[in-house]
Amino acid sequence: MKTLNYLSYIFLFVFSSAMLIVSCDKDISNGEDFTPIKPSNIDADAGTWDMIVLTSPDQIVVPAPVDTQTDAYKAELAAVEDLQKKLTKEKRDIIKYWSGGGVLRWNQFLRELVARYNLPPAPLADGSYPAPDAENPFADPNFPFANPPYAARAYSYVSVAQYEALKSAWHYKFLYNRPAPYKVSGSVKSLMPETDIPAYPSEDAVLSAVSVEMLKALFPAAIEEITLKAAEQRNAALWSGKATASDISAGVALGKAVAAQVMLRAGADGMRNAVGTKADWKKFADDCISKGETPWISRDLPIRPPMLPLFGKVRAWNMTEQDIVKERPTPPPSTSSEEMKKEVSEVKWYADNVTRDRLAIVHKWADGVGTYTPPGHWNDIAAEYIHDANYSEVRTARAFALLNTALHDAAVGCWEVKFYYFNPRPSQVDPSIKTCTGVPNFPAFTSGHSTFSGSAATVLSHLFPEHSEYFEKEAAEASVSRLYAGIHFRADIEMGMKHGKVIGGYTVSYALADGAE
Amino acid sequence: MIKLLRNLLMGLLPLTSMGQTVTDGLMMAKNDLCTGVMYTRDHWSEYWEGELKRKNDNIGKLTTQSLMWVGAYGLSTKVNLIAMLPYVKTEASQGTLHHMEGIQDLTLAVKYNFFRHNMEKSSFRTFATLAVSTPLSDYTPDYFPLSVGTGTTNISYRATAFYKFANMFFANATGAYTWRSNTTLDRPAYYTNDNLYLTDEVKMPNVFDYAVSIGYLRNGLQAEINYMQQNTLGGSDIRRQDMPFVSNRMNFSKVGALVMYYLPKPKGLALRGSYTTTVAGRNVGQSNTFMGGALYTIHFSKKP
Repeated sequence: MKTLNYLSYIFLFVFSSAMLIVSCDKDISNGEDFTPIKPSNIDADAGTWDMIVLTSPDQIVVPAPVDTQTDAYKAELAAVEDLQKKLTKEKRDIIKYWSGGGVLRWNQFLRELVARYNLPPAPLADGSYPAPDAENPFADPNFPFANPPYAARAYSYVSVAQYEALKSAWHYKFLYNRPAPYKVSGSVKSLMPETDIPAYPSEDAVLSAVSVEMLKALFPAAIEEITLKAAEQRNAALWSGKATASDISAGVALGKAVAAQVMLRAGADGMRNAVGTKADWKKFADDCISKGETPWISRDLPIRPPMLPLFGKVRAWNMTEQDIVKERPTPPPSTSSEEMKKEVSEVKWYADNVTRDRLAIVHKWADGVGTYTPPGHWNDIAAEYIHDANYSEVRTARAFALLNTALHDAAVGCWEVKFYYFNPRPSQVDPSIKTCTGVPNFPAFTSGHSTFSGSAATVLSHLFPEHSEYFEKEAAEASVSRLYAGIHFRADIEMGMKHGKVIGGYTVSYALADGAE
Repeated sequence: MIKLLRNLLMGLLPLTSMGQTVTDGLMMAKNDLCTGVMYTRDHWSEYWEGELKRKNDNIGKLTTQSLMWVGAYGLSTKVNLIAMLPYVKTEASQGTLHHMEGIQDLTLAVKYNFFRHNMEKSSFRTFATLAVSTPLSDYTPDYFPLSVGTGTTNISYRATAFYKFANMFFANATGAYTWRSNTTLDRPAYYTNDNLYLTDEVKMPNVFDYAVSIGYLRNGLQAEINYMQQNTLGGSDIRRQDMPFVSNRMNFSKVGALVMYYLPKPKGLALRGSYTTTVAGRNVGQSNTFMGGALYTIHFSKKP
């Protein structure tokens, strides 16, 4: 009898604790729930800031809007009023989502697209790899393979296009000064934070159109989702009382036209040749051998062609072709030197002495297959600071444009170095070195993570100097994670970090002179 | 990617049955303690990427070995307590990926024989089992197929029916619903279920499993063949050429055979061996599993 009591206690305890846990909600939040932004400064002079791709803010002509006293405009106001009477919970949620910031939301979505398409082609039965085909993006392998250089370029083009389009929009907004519907009519409510930014052309519509055009070129297989998202943003502007139909149609036209200009640059920036040919790949190895060095060999099985080996020739944003060559780091230790032996044994030591703390650092920064890549990670880091700064849309776009042009230039600079020296990975030199994450499929010197992180931390430290220490610490951790992982030599990460900071410096120089600071 | 030990811990494999396990219809007598060590070697060279079966030269053959301490104690003839704790090591034969090893999850279970009916030459019993498992070390769940576990705390609700007939044959059926806690990664974002999640927390789908076995049970010999099925109730497929992920929909069907024999001497010592092969799966390896071990039963109630 006594035993039975004892047992029932055990049962009671176990079952009640079990039920307690089970009743817990497993649903997780996305983790980046941007609160509505009310800009601390409307940046009325943004139309005068330096243009990157466009020749001037009025290169694309936006015709003058009709007056707010006209019947045509009054009909538009009535339409907004009518829509506001029919707002469902779902529509209010959409308004709330977009009031967190248009540029920020598109950046978040772009990170998702990169993660979705960051998958290398699977090998065929004969050991070869099919190439993603832009003309047939839905096939296996999907187009694109959004690897780090592809992603760096994509983030930069989307950011720059948005920035150009918004500067142009700001020019016309303050030229025509047509107020938002909620300022014109007392019966139109403002369901997003009120500002003094004129409504024509609608910045939300500009953003939706420029983003659609850029994204559907970069991620053609995601076209349905991209266009639905853009339509949602325009609806949010309309439903929230921020814009009328003509504010929106003018914005769409401007956004599309700006995207077309930016796409012209993209089409001629050298990306189409970045994959290279078999002859190019062989030449890298031959040049390396003729210098008396051991050439890089892919660690993938079967052997995979190098990732975008001619990406170093793609046009940078804030550096010239000569700058890229001029800033190229000095050579790594010779593959046959004593110094290299020391470097190998250091990597070997980390590979053989993995601790849980170091493994956590490796995985925090791995950003490999199926992720938003290291440039995406830095966008992730930046998003929070940019959001909390309460920038106007145009200044938000500027922050992302600065960050992502620096990251793109880091990708170009780093790839130029990698394929100039064509240096092997530690696990090629010593196959007993096992790695705590996948070995990237390109040469070791210099470390991409280090270059990306050095450039990003430099730009973010310029934008948010009070947080500079944090950015530098994160960059240093990202860099050393590659040594801990067993995939990079110390020379790779140290030189990469130094190089990245130099590259970031070019963007900071641009930022100091663009008229926005 | 398929972690044999995880399955063992969730009590999914009938081949874990010692004197008794969470899945079988056998019980320890009151105050009897059965304890021992099991060695398991599980390996696969092909896996299902979603529903596509493939090889991967960057993994080659993936081997998971474990050494597990097990214990079962008869609180009464109707209630048994069971505990398991494995040390796990995973290794890939090709490619550069580093092996992983460590203490995995501790399982504690209460098994309650709530119904029994004895006839002349047969008997029928039913059981309810509650098992809780939780990681005892801080291993990473973010390194599949080489992670040693999922890093989740699991609660398993199991029902088992056991029928013994002609005094020597038996049939056993068991099924469980396992609630799994969310798990935590070392990174701030991940992509799964067609979404980018900007958090380190991963929502883990629950699991349903069932197993049936038939066999011989007499004079200290237990011999059985079994079939088991696990379905993860959610989670996404591994995408083409992607790495597997902790919350993937890991399903499998396995068949196996098990023998356990109590040696005549020394009394109380039993040897146990089993072999299991995967016949179908999704987001798991097509694994073959060997297990062998020794168990010793101590009768605390009897004076020496």
